[in-house]
Amino acid sequence: MLADIINPYFLQILSFILINILLAISVYVPLSSGQLSLGSAGFMGVGAYTSALLTIHFDIPLIIGILAGACVAGILGIIVGIPSLRLSGVYLAIATLGLGEVIRVIFVNWESLTKGSIGLTGIPQMGREILNFAKGFGFDPAMIGLKSNQFVYLVIVLILLLLVIATIWFVVRQQNSRVGRSLSSIQMDEKAAESMGINITYYKVLSFTQGAFLAGLAGALFAHVMGYISPSDFSYHRAVEILIFTVFGGSEVILGAVFGATFLTLVPEVLRFISDYRYIIYGIVLIILMAVRPQGIFDIHLLNRLKGLKRSKGGVR
Amino acid sequence: MLKLTNIETYYGQIQALKGIDLEVNEGKIITLLGANGAGKSTTMKTIAGLLKPKKGTVEFLGENVTGLRPDQLLRKGIALVPEGRAILSTMTVIENLEMGAYHRKDKDVKDEIEHVMQRFPILNERQSQMAGTLSGGQQQMLAIARALLSKPKLLLLDEPSMGLAPLIVAEIFNIIKEIKEAGTTVLLVEQNAKQALKIADYGYVMETGKIIIEGKASDLLEDPRIVEAYLGRKSTSDDKIPS
Repeated sequence: MLADIINPYFLQILSFILINILLAISVYVPLSSGQLSLGSAGFMGVGAYTSALLTIHFDIPLIIGILAGACVAGILGIIVGIPSLRLSGVYLAIATLGLGEVIRVIFVNWESLTKGSIGLTGIPQMGREILNFAKGFGFDPAMIGLKSNQFVYLVIVLILLLLVIATIWFVVRQQNSRVGRSLSSIQMDEKAAESMGINITYYKVLSFTQGAFLAGLAGALFAHVMGYISPSDFSYHRAVEILIFTVFGGSEVILGAVFGATFLTLVPEVLRFISDYRYIIYGIVLIILMAVRPQGIFDIHLLNRLKGLKRSKGGVR
Repeated sequence: MLKLTNIETYYGQIQALKGIDLEVNEGKIITLLGANGAGKSTTMKTIAGLLKPKKGTVEFLGENVTGLRPDQLLRKGIALVPEGRAILSTMTVIENLEMGAYHRKDKDVKDEIEHVMQRFPILNERQSQMAGTLSGGQQQMLAIARALLSKPKLLLLDEPSMGLAPLIVAEIFNIIKEIKEAGTTVLLVEQNAKQALKIADYGYVMETGKIIIEGKASDLLEDPRIVEAYLGRKSTSDDKIPS
């Protein structure tokens, strides 16, 4: 019964959605302090390659590899963040886009380590590792009525879901704290924030680094879900795609990032039956949205209205 | 209380301040006058830590504070109300006021917000309104109120009357006077020389990066050089282009 519902294809799409949500949040966090970073694809690549190389060559546990990938991306975020914070708006966007390309070109050319444009194969797959681990304890997926590959994908989705929930929880908590307040005041008016005694350099580097860390985390997870990565996975197209997730869903609220990533990952899959036209439709959807609703689907006003709706319903009850 | 000695500040290669000496005594209103481009705002930014001087020292309460960051200076008691009403437009009035007390950890913040709102009744009326929807004068009052919540010993006001109607300007100047009477020292940058000198105790006049005249405000009001250069026309407030 359970086995019939759980389809590896759906589970895989679900896991892509979850990874894309992490990536969308990695753009959203710097954006909440007014910094438009297009470096997510590059940081994602750094996380993916770091974790993949560590686990392939040194046989270290996946969880440490993934954390290391995220941390290396975060540290790179600090290093790049400090000088580039003199830039703002489009200039920062271009600089970070350039950074992403530099990282990608390094992956292509450092063949002795990264195998160049062929990419890395044989990266330990997260689900299989857990399956083997569980088997070591005498567990068999058949015991809960699942086939091995169903179990593998299910485990991946569950782990990603937990991480996404933890991330959203963290970001929301942060937003309602002193840190979040200073980030949003920096976004509104840097001069005012500075004159209120907010150390703007510190908070800008902080949010930029958080974005880099999250992108690195998503990249490392991506590597261990796919089992194969190549430099083209982290190209300019990916950077733009990630930005679109956030902008489409609404860059003012975190729900926007979540919705944008979910919707835009699903659309090409749902439209598979008209495969020749699906990217045309995708493009048209974006153009219409930007013309009609430049702030994205979700914004604060819409959220407040939805909340009001719920409250008034509650009143009737 | 505040003492600037031979301050020289540059924008890249361009020297904006050519050796400023200035002193602010506790409990007074000191005003800094001058035409556009004289270096008034640059002086303010240097004191507040937004710009770092190449030469010279800034002393505050006997301590050398040259080159400290704005957030460090705020903790020491120097608060700046920047030029052009820098308010947080998509936060409410009350949130703006809370942000003013950002660095404080004591428990009196709530009471003090109440207190400040009594002084600015209009802010009390509009406390849950977005700050961006306030009128110009109200925004300026909000910016001043917010700076007061950091409990400054020295309040730096950079052209608070800029672009406001004469009636509102008079109100703002009354408030500045009240702030001084409540015990906060004020350094006021103004183009509106007449009004500023009326409430100030001491004044400095700047021209192209230097202080050319200084003296008691009452003397400066009579000084023929100033009368000619700044007070000649009757018009008081809206005859200038915002910089």
